[in-house]
Parts: sequence; C-alpha cells; structure tokens
Amino acid sequence: MTSSRRIGLVHLLLALFVIALLAKSARVQLWQGRRWAATALRQQSTERSIPAPRGPILDARGEMLAQSRETVKLEIAPTEVRNLRRLRQALQRGGIPAEWVARATDPRRRWVMIPGRYLAIDVAAATAMRGVYTTPVVERSYAISAGTRHVVGRVDADGRAVDGLELALDSLLRGKAGSATVMRDARGRRFESPSSPGAPPVQGNTVVLTINQELQEIAERALADAVASMEAEGGDVLVLDPSNGEVLAMASQRGDPRATASTALTEPYEPGSTVKPLIASALLQQNRARETEIVNTFGGQLTINGRTITDDHPAAQYSLADVIRFSSNIGIVQFASRLQPREEFEALRDFGFGMPTGIAYPVEAAGTLRDPTRWSRQSANSMAMGYEIAVTPMQLASAYVAIANGGELLEPTLVREVRDPQGAVRYRHTRRVVRRVMSADVARRVRRMLLGVVEEGGTAKRADLGNFSLAGKTGTTRRIVNGQYRLSEHIPTFVGLFPGDNPQFVILVKLDNPKGAYSGGLTAAPVTKAVIEAALASRNASLDRGHLAASRVERPATPDRVAAVAALETGDSADARRRLLAQRAALADSAEVPTASVVALLPLPPDTAHARPLADRMIPDVAGLSVRSAVHALHAAGFRVRLVNGPAAVTSPGAGSIARAGSLVHLGTSP
Amino acid sequence: MATRRVKSASTGRLRVAVLLLVFLAISGGVILRRTYGIAGARELLELDSRRAALVAERLRLEAEIRAAGSRAQLQPVAESRLGMRVPPDSNVIILPRHEP
Repeated sequence: MTSSRRIGLVHLLLALFVIALLAKSARVQLWQGRRWAATALRQQSTERSIPAPRGPILDARGEMLAQSRETVKLEIAPTEVRNLRRLRQALQRGGIPAEWVARATDPRRRWVMIPGRYLAIDVAAATAMRGVYTTPVVERSYAISAGTRHVVGRVDADGRAVDGLELALDSLLRGKAGSATVMRDARGRRFESPSSPGAPPVQGNTVVLTINQELQEIAERALADAVASMEAEGGDVLVLDPSNGEVLAMASQRGDPRATASTALTEPYEPGSTVKPLIASALLQQNRARETEIVNTFGGQLTINGRTITDDHPAAQYSLADVIRFSSNIGIVQFASRLQPREEFEALRDFGFGMPTGIAYPVEAAGTLRDPTRWSRQSANSMAMGYEIAVTPMQLASAYVAIANGGELLEPTLVREVRDPQGAVRYRHTRRVVRRVMSADVARRVRRMLLGVVEEGGTAKRADLGNFSLAGKTGTTRRIVNGQYRLSEHIPTFVGLFPGDNPQFVILVKLDNPKGAYSGGLTAAPVTKAVIEAALASRNASLDRGHLAASRVERPATPDRVAAVAALETGDSADARRRLLAQRAALADSAEVPTASVVALLPLPPDTAHARPLADRMIPDVAGLSVRSAVHALHAAGFRVRLVNGPAAVTSPGAGSIARAGSLVHLGTSP
Repeated sequence: MATRRVKSASTGRLRVAVLLLVFLAISGGVILRRTYGIAGARELLELDSRRAALVAERLRLEAEIRAAGSRAQLQPVAESRLGMRVPPDSNVIILPRHEP
C-alpha cells in the first residue's frame, strides 16, 4: 500500500470517527437531550422546599406571645468526618446530649440522625465540618405563661396546629412555603442555583390578640394564689372589656395537666346566684318589679311545691335591691314568679345562655338551657336561683358585659387585629352587638343594685375597695359529680364590674371546690379585689386612667370609718353599717371629683395607718420641685394632697406651717 | 503560482488560529463567569444561613429577656427579696390634669 493510500485510509477513519461522534452527539443532544438534562439536574441539584414561618401572635400591647424561628436538624455521616475529635467538641459545645455525641462520632456508624432541634448558631462549628448535614426546620417558640398557652394553643413537631388559637386561626397564621434549587459542586458543597432562583417563603399573617399579657399574668397569679391558699381543685378568671367585648385576660387552672384547653370556654357549670341580677333586669325591663318593691321572704324559709328554699340572710321581707344585695333565694323566687316560664326562658336565652358565644376558639361549650316544655314544677324557681341551667364562665361574663355597658349583649372576641406580612391590616375587630337585652336605664338600675352587694352588709364586702366602687354579684353552687350534688363540694363565683359607676372591667372569678370557706363572697370576691389592685398598680393593664380618676371616691379615714372597721373586726356588723352609712352621707355632700389622666404610684403605707393618733407636722417646702416630686414630698411628710389652679409648687397652708398629719394640703399647679 | 498557494495557506492557518483564540477566549470567559457566579451563590447561601441563624438567636434572646422581665418572674422576687407588695387601691394616687 502506497503512503498516499495509507494516508487516505487514516483520513477516512478519522472522518468516520468524526461522523460517528457527531451522530452520537446529535443523538444525545437532539433525540435524548431532555432525558439526559433531567438526569443531570437530578444528580447535580435538588429542589428544596423552604418552610414558611407561621405568623407571630402578639398581645394587645404588641408583646410577642408566639413566634417562629429557624432551627436545624442534624444528620451526621461519621465515616465522612475527617476529625472526629473536633466534631465531638463542637457537638458538646452545641448542647447535644453526650449519648448522641458518642453515636455521632462512632466511626463504625454510617449515618446518625440526632434527635431534637438546635439553633444554627449553637451548632455552627459542627455544621461547618464535612460529613455534617443540616435540615432547616421552623420551630414555634412561646415566651408566655402557662395560662396564656391555653389560649394561644400549640403546634406539633411538624408545625401543624394542635389546639387553641393556633388551630382556630391556622389558615391565617400558616405561611406559604418557598422553594429553591440547590446545586452541588464536585466536592458535594451546596449552593443555590444562580439560573433558577426559586421562590422565597411567605410568612403567615400577624395576629394581634385582645389579651393583655400584663393583666393575664396578674389574673394567673391571683388565681394560683387563691387555688393554693384555699386548696381548690382549680379555677377560672376572666376579664372582659364591657365597651367592646374584648377578652383582656383568661386564666384557667386545673389539677389535671391534660386539661390544655381554656376551661372558661369549655366547662359549663350551674352559675347559682349570679343569675339573680339577670332575672331582676328582666323584671325591671318588663315593669314587673321595681328596686324598692318588697316581697315576703318568710323569715328565711319557704316551701314551694314540696321543696324548701332557705336564705343565708333570713329576713321577713326584702326589696328587690336587697334580694340582690343579700342574695335571697326566697326573694328572687317570689319575684321570678311574676314571669311566665316562657318569659324567664327567653330572658335567659337573650343573655346568650344555651348557645356558644361565637368566640374564635376551636372548642366552646353551649351550656344548657332547656326549653320550658321540658321544665319540671321546680324548674322556674331553680333557674331563678341559678340551678338547672349550665353556663360557661365566658357566657356568664358576657351577660354581665351587657349590664356593664348599658344593655347590649356583645360578641366576645380574642382577636383584635390581623395584619399581612407587609403590615397592612386585613381584619380589625369592631364591636359586634348581638342584641339589646335591656334598656340603658335598666342596666344603670341593675348596676346600682350590684353596688350594694359589695358594700357593707352585702355578700361580697370582702371585695370592697378603698377608693373605688365595685359592683358585682356572688354565687355559690353545689358541685355535681356523676349526676349527683355533692353536699361538701362547691363552686363559688363572683362577677365584678369595675369601677362600679362606669365599668372598664367585667371580672369573673370561679373556683372549684375550695376547702374551708366556700361562699363566693369569702373566696372568689377577694380574688377579684386582688386582680383589681394589681391592675391599678400596673401601668399596662388596659385601664383608662383618665376615666378612672373620675370614678375615684375619696374615703378619708374619718373617725366613723375607723370605728366602723374596728366594729367589723369585732363582729358588730350592725354598728359598722350605721357608721358607714353616716360616713357615706357625709361624703355624698362633699363629692368633688376632678378629671385626670396622670398616674403616680406612691409607696404609701396602707390606710389602716390612719387609725393611729395623728401628730402635728411641718408642711415641707416644695418650691422648685416638679408636681410629681412635690406630691411625693407632701405624701412622705404625711399629708394628703389636692392639686388646684394656682402658683406652681405653692402650698396652702404654706411651707413651714404646722398642720395635722393626714390633713389636706392644696398644691398649685399652674405654670 | 507557488507564491499564491503559500500565501493562501498561511492566511487560512491564521484564520483558524484566530477562530481558536476567539473560541478559547469566549470559553474562558463563560467558565470564569460561571465560576464567579457559583462562588457568589455559595457565599450568598452561607450568608443567608448565617442571617437566619442570627435572627433565630435574636428571637431567642428577646424571648429570654421578655421572660426574665415578666411580671410572673419579677413579682415573686420583688416580694421575697425586696419586701415589696402590691399596693391597695387607696395607695394609688391618680394626679388630676387640669384642662388648659
């Protein structure tokens, strides 16, 4: 073969090779191109779903109650790790349990999944190493009290809502998961594909609750103290804003740790005498009775239809106002007999009993209110006394909201606002009136009767405040266990309206089976007082202090008051009542309440100090001091202060004058 | 004749060389760009992870501060260590603000 032939053959082979190469390339690229591209994509990149954080839940003041944060799950391939000793140290520093550190650094194991979730920053040293793999997980964290968690609810390990508002508002709180294409380089290191950026996750909506965390903690503390000191099995405290139906605090405590729901919404009970003002309002509304109208109460014992009804405060006769004040069973039965069964049923139904309130919560009991066709001969009387019906604490508090706000039954709410991730408001709660259950005038008259309950002689005198009025009603029922009344087990309740003249709070306190004293006036009423006092001392407890100042009633430590307190302590209630009535009449003559909005909390000794003999003192010079400092100095010197229009920081009597400690000093405030 | 053949052959080689150089330059540019892009993407992912970790840490610290400063935490301490108490309502003074 000549050389030119050999060269031609080589050229031919090269040409054939090139043709074959081109043919194969065309086959791979043109005919099988999509399949191979997909295979390459599978091998070099992964589609990663980026979990969306749930929206935060805030309290009424914007305090964070629940939020989502990113954590990581750790998976380790010990055989890929180059320095097991360094990994061991890093994992120990990250707070991994020693048992799992040992497993993760055992070279005989191929793959170790460490349980639990860790903040990425805690395990950063470990995750930077080869052979340590992380999976981001969004975790829900709650910086709230146990009681608030009953309201807010929980999500499970997979981020699914389990109960509470997390479940009720899941569609709003749940975000939209994002996606990303993650590529791997030759070393297996991951990076997001620059050519397909994916979609970022969208956080869920922000939910602002009506709960005031400060007030919630106050309610929880008061409830916990009461349950502990009275050895009760549990209890509920509810605080509602009667102007708009917002739930400001909802504390529940049960001995059973499995009780995770808010029992104020889920556990109906017989409300007892707390129903009496509602019956009274129906009577007043239909002009079937007046507050001063008197009925025979038969000395505290009456047998009707074979059933004997008794009163704790026996009397021959009571007015309607006294029936409420002394919680007379016979009296309310006598008055309620003026209502037909259907009218009594409709009155209670109008207050929302027998049906859920409609609050945004996954579970709510409707309670029990039987139709009159199913009543027995005793039912009308029993219901007037708060038996044979069952209401939840929320239903009962909502009924009192109507009394407090002038007669409108409002839909209670836990959600004030919902905002989208950009901050735009998607929903804002507006006051929803379910129905008007009484006229404003009747509501005012019922409130006036409820004031008497807390005053001296009433069943809730232990809730009486020093300088503010409180209206309310006690109730004490026997507990039903397995369908039978237990004689020795009780459920005391107190529903308070604070302040009594222009309520800002409706406070319901219910205790389950306290030991020892069990009446609502001795058990639940003092808890209400504790909640109010703590709320007054707090700057952030949803109280409108401008209006509150107008409700303040100055009750100086007059000799009559001191003597009345002493008489109470020695048990001479008749003498105490006489003295207090005399004092109240004197106060009514000199009532002068200025408007106000500035608050100062001063560490003064309690009122009882005024009972001591008072010495003459020199009025301090407060020139040059601010109003607040001047008031503080005068209080510290033992004087009471009234601010008046006049030269600033000038007192009357003047500085240096001698005056009786505890006497009133006028302080000028004009610039 | 021979001179023309030599000239056209050298021109052809030059063209091929230029084409090859252009090809190499373009390929090099693409590879360089992808390399920087991937490095940037990797750095971006790391920074994003770090940012998420720091945000999570901030949220944890904020939660701890809130818990430590909460009434439930402070009140027992104030009562037991400092002897403080919740004042009765009569000790709470609301200073009136006169209308201007």
